Amino acid sequence: MTNQSPGNAIRRKNRASTKLQPDWWSKSFAGAVLGLTLALALAGLFAWVGPGGLYAPDKRQFVMWMIAPLWVTVFSLVYLIPTGKRALLILGGLNLLAFGLLFLVRFISEGRV
Amino acid sequence: MKVRSDILRIYRSLHTWVGITSGLLLLVGFFAGALTMFKQPMDRWINPPEKRMPWIQESSLDQLVAQVMEQYPSARREFTLYPIEREDLSAPMVWTETSGGRELDLSAEQRIASLDSNGNLKTDIQMPSRFGDLVDMLHRTGGIPGFTGDEYLGVYILGIAGVLYFLALISGVILLLPTLVKDFFALRYGKNKKRFWLDSHNVVGITSLPFHIVISLTVIVFAFHGEFYEALKEVVYPNQERAQEMGESQHRNPQDILPPSQLLQKVRAEAPGFDVTEMLYMRLDSPRPLVRIAVYKPEELVHGPVTGYVGVDPYSGEFLLTAMLPGKAEGWGAIVNYFFALHFGSFGGSLVRWIYFFLGLSGAFLFYSGNLLWIESRRKKLRKNAAPDTLVTQPRNLQWMAAITVGATFGCVIGVCLAMVSGKWMHAVSDNINYTYVNIYYICFAVAIAYALWIGVGRATWHLLLASSLSCALIPLTSFASWLIPGLGLWAYTSLPVLMVDLTAAAFAVVLMFAAVRSRRRAFSGNTDSVWSAYKDKKSQAPGLDRKEFPI
Repeated sequence: MTNQSPGNAIRRKNRASTKLQPDWWSKSFAGAVLGLTLALALAGLFAWVGPGGLYAPDKRQFVMWMIAPLWVTVFSLVYLIPTGKRALLILGGLNLLAFGLLFLVRFISEGRV
Repeated sequence: MKVRSDILRIYRSLHTWVGITSGLLLLVGFFAGALTMFKQPMDRWINPPEKRMPWIQESSLDQLVAQVMEQYPSARREFTLYPIEREDLSAPMVWTETSGGRELDLSAEQRIASLDSNGNLKTDIQMPSRFGDLVDMLHRTGGIPGFTGDEYLGVYILGIAGVLYFLALISGVILLLPTLVKDFFALRYGKNKKRFWLDSHNVVGITSLPFHIVISLTVIVFAFHGEFYEALKEVVYPNQERAQEMGESQHRNPQDILPPSQLLQKVRAEAPGFDVTEMLYMRLDSPRPLVRIAVYKPEELVHGPVTGYVGVDPYSGEFLLTAMLPGKAEGWGAIVNYFFALHFGSFGGSLVRWIYFFLGLSGAFLFYSGNLLWIESRRKKLRKNAAPDTLVTQPRNLQWMAAITVGATFGCVIGVCLAMVSGKWMHAVSDNINYTYVNIYYICFAVAIAYALWIGVGRATWHLLLASSLSCALIPLTSFASWLIPGLGLWAYTSLPVLMVDLTAAAFAVVLMFAAVRSRRRAFSGNTDSVWSAYKDKKSQAPGLDRKEFPI
């Protein structure tokens, strides 16, 4: 009978909402597309601020090689985000942040040159 | 380790779906990839002897090149020298009259050249056997024909499969976490066949996980590197088109190139202890000429599938490219070399090649067993929902999936083996042996799938295993026949790498035969509601029949 108390019902509802939802399409889209663009931005940041600077010999190759592991790591973990909507929001936000940083770094560095 | 059940449920679905969609494609890629480890020995096994020319001293290469440059304008753009003799090579100097392009040209004739004992130039035309290159193409495309732009369509599709494959690896590891300690290395061999298959699937997957992660990542990069570079150029790197300063684009006269012996000397000084196996002269009449020199030392970590490379200017002898020379790369370039070497298994001589060969085959096993496990789990589900005491009949799509899995797997094995054998048997009658290889492969592949669909997977499995075993056996038997009956016009070499090809094929013939016997037993004595049972292939057979007397 105590189960019927309003407090427990709310708690149960909360637990249900933290349960992972499959949301295959939205999560997979977030992983496949937003994960890829995020990987591109992170690799780009590494190109500018990582060791050796932008034009270290052969670094462009290494930067290119970074994209795939970053991308698929994000892709494979995106399903841990509870809902598809939140996955889109989180990855979208991270994209904005990473690209914002990348363009900031580019702006500062190129301005200095 | 505890993992929440909702996480497990989602990653189980993910594992199932990426496995089912990409498994068969990756299976073909892994099988052919394992074979590419010994691409050169297979080519040595196959190459017909009748056009082969005598090799010449290294010092005579200078004379050979000078004479060809003078007499054959068609060689003045691109040619290749092979200082060291091998059975898969026909002459120390080779060029194609119509060269260029990275794709495999199956109908390009080669002109081959050498010197006779008096130092006079002799040349011939041959249609080279490209069996090794075709296996390599099967490896890179999964056998999917066609182009998009100037790249093979199959390469892109395998790139996508590489992404799905990585998802399958991660989800598979997550699924295993709760029972990792208990199940690890536990091979429960008993009545429950599914348990055994699942245990093997897990053990192989976990023990070779680093290899699989490396392969999946490199496959993605190999497929999409052009797109990635393009994206980096657009978004990351400053927009300064560093216009290639062409200088005065002087076109040099290919007759002025340095003698090869001088280049060989320079390269030996730069890379002591290495054999020079190939010198590819490129763009000789252009402003940017290059000799790509392949250097080989078994135990060294190298950038290429077999050899390292060094780029030299053919006119000045200046080193243009040393980043792919083992030990000479520095910084980021050296790290990138590791990525290539880890995919190609080119860092520890024959031992590593053998390890990669078996890792590649174990990868193929992973996809094969994965598909079978999915089929079995679906069967379980159906049986649970069925009324007791009724024999569950498996739905069509499950039957089809099982048949396609078995047909594709063994069709691929049979196709490659028979194509290889045809290199000797069809050599005399085929206009272009390369098209024979391709046709035989695709016919075998298609027929095996059609056969499994038609006859039912229960019987098709052991029939196709038997056919695979016999196809493998044909490889050593062909060598044996050439020795036994000289009149057949066959040939066989006796160098160690070639003998190993025969020996390995014989060993696999035995293993596959063993598997065929086991599989037949299961078809007639296993659960009759399984797709692997041969009973339901004949509707009239009831499960109460004496199983031993079941007609084949």
